[in-house]
Amino acid sequence: MRILIIEDDAETSRFIARGLTELGHQVVASHDGRDGLFQATEGGFDALVIDRMLPGLDGLSLVKALRAAGGTAPVLMLTAIGGLADRVEGLESGADDYLVKPFAFSELAARVQALGRRQAAPADPMRLVAGDIILDINRRTVVRAGQRVTLQPREFALLVELVRNAGRVMTRTMLLERVWDFDFDPRTNIVETHLSRLRSKLNAGFDSDPIETVRGAGYMIQGN
Amino acid sequence: MALGSLRGWWRTTFGLVAIVGVVLALTTLAIGFIAFEATHEALEQQLDHRIATETAALIDEGHDGPEGVTIAIRRREAARSTASLDFLLIDPNGRRLAGGLDAQVPASPGYVELLPYRLNGEQRIAQSLTTLLPGGYRLLVAADRAPIDEMDKSLLRLFAGAFGLMLVLGIFAAWIVGTVTRRRLASIDRTAQAIIGGDLSKRVPVTGAGDEFDDVAITLNRMLDRIGALMDNLRQVSSDVAHDLRTPLTRLHNRLDEALASDDRDVQRSAIAAASTQSRELLDIFAALLRIAEVEGIGSRAQFKTLNLSDLVDGIAETYRPDMEASGHNLTTDIAPNVMLHGDRRLMQQLLTNLLDNALAHTPGGTTVHLSLTRAGNGIALGIADDGPGVPDCERARLFQRFTRGEHSRTTRGHGLGLALVAAIAAAHGGTARLAKPPGFTVTIAL
Repeated sequence: MRILIIEDDAETSRFIARGLTELGHQVVASHDGRDGLFQATEGGFDALVIDRMLPGLDGLSLVKALRAAGGTAPVLMLTAIGGLADRVEGLESGADDYLVKPFAFSELAARVQALGRRQAAPADPMRLVAGDIILDINRRTVVRAGQRVTLQPREFALLVELVRNAGRVMTRTMLLERVWDFDFDPRTNIVETHLSRLRSKLNAGFDSDPIETVRGAGYMIQGN
Repeated sequence: MALGSLRGWWRTTFGLVAIVGVVLALTTLAIGFIAFEATHEALEQQLDHRIATETAALIDEGHDGPEGVTIAIRRREAARSTASLDFLLIDPNGRRLAGGLDAQVPASPGYVELLPYRLNGEQRIAQSLTTLLPGGYRLLVAADRAPIDEMDKSLLRLFAGAFGLMLVLGIFAAWIVGTVTRRRLASIDRTAQAIIGGDLSKRVPVTGAGDEFDDVAITLNRMLDRIGALMDNLRQVSSDVAHDLRTPLTRLHNRLDEALASDDRDVQRSAIAAASTQSRELLDIFAALLRIAEVEGIGSRAQFKTLNLSDLVDGIAETYRPDMEASGHNLTTDIAPNVMLHGDRRLMQQLLTNLLDNALAHTPGGTTVHLSLTRAGNGIALGIADDGPGVPDCERARLFQRFTRGEHSRTTRGHGLGLALVAAIAAAHGGTARLAKPPGFTVTIAL
């Protein structure tokens, strides 16, 4: 992917750029809000990583201006403020995802990957398929290789999130946000516990586990 | 004096009361003028009336001609029955026929307000009526104006005195009101100056008179008490933060020193890994502290929405059930359906997860954790109770404060901020968090 990083802190910018380059992405860095907006508007980027506090033009205004100009590249907003309303404000300005500093690089990488894919919507959003797993969102049913699997509501939501993002790593924090709507990290390992329950139900009678644990990053289900 | 303060002088207490005094004096002056004019006019009319009545009486008595009038005038002058009125009758040639009035008869008939005449050689002013009689004779009846002038003078003296008194009293009142107000304000000002100077223990003196100044003083003192309490709290928090961050920071420092001192890559790696974990914990502490500060600072509840608390509590209970079961805990619930709350969904979720995290971390397997949601009168009671070991009495009081950790939990993970956040979230929703009596550990949130 071609990724534009707009971040004024040189160290953070270098840290992100190096990591994303190692993952095989092509990275362009900008250190100023106004310059960043010009580069982003010129286009050609698959994803934008934008800091909220920038010299020249702040992140929120930048994204608003970009969207007003017709820019559709997905945006991950970074912030040092993890306030109650900040996340909502960030998403309302047109950003697609929001990440609070400090973050682990694996978290950022997973979110950037998920962003890049988000543009392509599935043909039938009510029927999701990944490998031998078929999900019916309306009826809330799961079928694996023709065999019906009964799940609790949270386990179903967890599986939907993984299947919807098949082929991409979903971090613990992303799952907490999307499945539980938590903007904090509880001390109890609820994600792990629910995943292990989901696995045991999904894998009963099968030899293979479709859910892959990516060490130090998160979980992933293989796509087709 | 600066131009600005000069321009605003009238806004001072002295200025305001002086303005009231001047307005009162001017009002008195206006009323006096009107009263004076009315009295003056009434007296003149009264005089006119007397002159007209007398003229009519003379003409009536002398209905057969000037001779009759002459006789009537002579009779009156002889009797001196009308000392204040003077008469003059002249023939068409201007010759005096009767009357002792020493004045020029006006050519045309009618009233003359200011007619000069002589009395015993003295110049005087009279009010007069000239009447044309048949045959070209003219009758002049006049009354001296001295009584009117006398009355005018005494009225003027009276009003001038009242006006002067009003002005003096007004200025005196301005001075008294101004002095009293300034003295009271000065005492408030002295207190404020002392507080600016750093003495936060100073309070505005209350006289006990129960007046408006006392009301303001009492309110100000209550505000100062509140600020003082907040300052104490802040001081406490700062020292807590300093104290509780020193330990993990020291450990982090030691680990990094250890990594630097060693040549063994494995030792270095494990020391750096430990240092990384410790820095992560420090960041968590900061995040938790910021979150508490933010929740405590929620001024308006504009972002709050009406939410179904029953569903929320139920969802969290189901989320925690697998972990509870896995660690041998027993989770029971008693949730009243459709309890609505005006609040923040995520904060309420965090409140519940903090309480359940605590229950999981600090009670042994086999403990029953009971989650309840009930309507209590106009409010809502959210409770979490366990039959675990509970906390010693000495720790109960400080439990909802920052960095409070039970002695037995010193060794377990956590930073002692969970319950402080619970209390802050409850307060942000207009509620309270309270620790119920043993046995076990029971927290009740009244919303």
